[in-house]
Amino acid sequence: MSNEFRATLHLKFMGRHLMMLPPTYQSHDPNKMAIIYYSLCGIAATDKTQIETKYSKSREFILAHHKTIELKDDQKICTISGFIGTLTLDFQDNKVITINLSNTLFALLSLRILGETSFFENSKHKRHIGNLVKNCQLPDGSFVSSLDIDNGFKPSPVDSKDLRYTYMAISILYLMGSRSKQDFNEFIDVDLAVKNILNHQTLLGAFGEYNEPHAGYTSCALSALYLLNRSLNVLSESFKSKTISWLVFRQLSNEGCSKFQIDSNPSFDEADNGGFQGRPNKFADTCYAFWCMNSLKLLTDDWKNLIDTSAVLNYLLKTTQNTLIGGFSKNDDDDPDIYHTCLGIAALKLLDGSFDGSLCIPKYVSDTMVL
Amino acid sequence: MTEEFLLKFQDIKPTPIQTDIPNELCQILYTKEYANLMGVTRTLMNNREHSKRALELTSVVIEIAPAFYTVWNYRYNIIHDMVLQLKDANQEKVIEFLNKDLDWLDELTLNNPKNYQIWSYRQAILNLHPKPDFKRDLPILKIMLHDDTKNYHVWSYRKWLIDFVKNDSLFDFNIELNFTNIFIDRDIYNNSAWTHRLFVIKTNPANKNIDFNSKLIQNEIIFTKKNIHLCPQNISSWNYLIALLDWLNNGKATDDLIEFASQFVSDFFSNTAILPNIQSSYALEFLADQYKLDPKRINDSIKAYKALSTKYDPIRTPYWNHLIKGLS
Repeated sequence: MSNEFRATLHLKFMGRHLMMLPPTYQSHDPNKMAIIYYSLCGIAATDKTQIETKYSKSREFILAHHKTIELKDDQKICTISGFIGTLTLDFQDNKVITINLSNTLFALLSLRILGETSFFENSKHKRHIGNLVKNCQLPDGSFVSSLDIDNGFKPSPVDSKDLRYTYMAISILYLMGSRSKQDFNEFIDVDLAVKNILNHQTLLGAFGEYNEPHAGYTSCALSALYLLNRSLNVLSESFKSKTISWLVFRQLSNEGCSKFQIDSNPSFDEADNGGFQGRPNKFADTCYAFWCMNSLKLLTDDWKNLIDTSAVLNYLLKTTQNTLIGGFSKNDDDDPDIYHTCLGIAALKLLDGSFDGSLCIPKYVSDTMVL
Repeated sequence: MTEEFLLKFQDIKPTPIQTDIPNELCQILYTKEYANLMGVTRTLMNNREHSKRALELTSVVIEIAPAFYTVWNYRYNIIHDMVLQLKDANQEKVIEFLNKDLDWLDELTLNNPKNYQIWSYRQAILNLHPKPDFKRDLPILKIMLHDDTKNYHVWSYRKWLIDFVKNDSLFDFNIELNFTNIFIDRDIYNNSAWTHRLFVIKTNPANKNIDFNSKLIQNEIIFTKKNIHLCPQNISSWNYLIALLDWLNNGKATDDLIEFASQFVSDFFSNTAILPNIQSSYALEFLADQYKLDPKRINDSIKAYKALSTKYDPIRTPYWNHLIKGLS
């Protein structure tokens, strides 16, 4: 099999996800904005001219998901705004609060990809979206993704508060123009947010819940810290080198002593050679090539000299790239899906230097955002 | 089935979902059933109806689309409201009511093992519960972990639960430690089980001032050695050992552990002719990491990294070279 990047097939695969989808997608209805973002992001990273010719008119459609809500209680008045993921969650007079951080982030990234600028320059939008992020922060510095549907001053009582939402909160503020600590502090308590991130450091490097390191959370934590002040100075040198080592060990091999696991480790697969896993002793998965390499890139400029780049290229192009219908799958077994397609392409583009990993958009898009 | 269920809502005028917008992306073709169900849900949420039938409706919606975060929130608000009303009657009723909700959740959990919402909803219900009982949660967690032994959400929830009940005198940390044995015995490579083990030891209030020479930690060392013997090329057991040393012994291995690790690398350090066959690259790395702290053995450390690069772990050649550069 050749290891050529099948751009035309992938563009078709992603393009199909932006057209009419069958009812089997109903269960993804609340996350529709995620499907839109993964598709647009992958298309933009592959061929930006397609964005201009085919999709730029859809800005209005995405903007139809932006909702502004006046909050009022006995003492306070506050206006928040953000995006819903589907018009199924569009409620009359905004009586039910359904905007959340993930849909807001995915919509803002999609708008940036589509070349929208005026939305981001509007100072009201900056303030109102900032207020949404503010209301999502908990007293321990962490974030939930959504507010209570009946009371927008309160975080949702049923939401989780993991590092994904900390990353989303900070990325949203960054996209809306926050750069200095003072800018971020206008809406959130930066010191508390950082303290909470640091509390998720694990003993042997990397980040995770309750001391179990995880490549996805590690990427969220490092990207969030990086967006806050364009450096990772807040981490100790020893933690940084432990994390680099932890990440480097996520690249799987079928050579040397690794082979001793063939008969005894149920999560060992020789076909995984070159790919990355999300945690020790798990199978390789396309998306972790991105989460691990993005983390390494943030930790050191020398990142490409720490991993076997040709092995990861081979893994993505020969093992998880689908050469019949396009797209990337999670591993060598599954069918391709839009999430792994976007992240597989992102991983490849990170390697060729054309992708901004901390914001998760093509570099040419984030280059237009420099203040 | 949904149609029949919706007969309960004949008095409700569904709020239709807006579709067919110009330049729409990712338009989902909704079935009539879905559109009706969502239409009714939207009206009910808008009316803030907190009734028994509204509660039933949330179950139906969650089964069809468990990712609907707002419907979970709606369900919680209904439950919360009903608990407030029951509180006036008596606490037993509240407990019974919330346990019934947990029964429903157990059932749903079994059918949706990868869903995120389930676990944070469960935390919210336990926080609302007047007498949260960790024993009630253990069977479902056990089933879930037996079905998917490395499910990060379930292990995380289990750790949250331990943290939640750690001061409850009925909670037995030794039983919890043994719980990890089941998973390590079944798959010695289960990293979640190994990290859970360390979490259990660190969270137990009785171990607050524990030191490296304590019986508990020494037993853990014996336990780990036994497991490394079974499978020397296992990053999880080696990491567990390193984590214990990092936590309680400044990362420094005892002579006994150096000797232990040496048995997996054949005559690597004394053999000047060839690179021998060894049993574990992790053992060699462990020794190299220790030797580099000792100026007299730094060359052994470099020799080991070089051999890892050329023979024992070649995919990480760039990384091993980077370590060697830092030493010379």
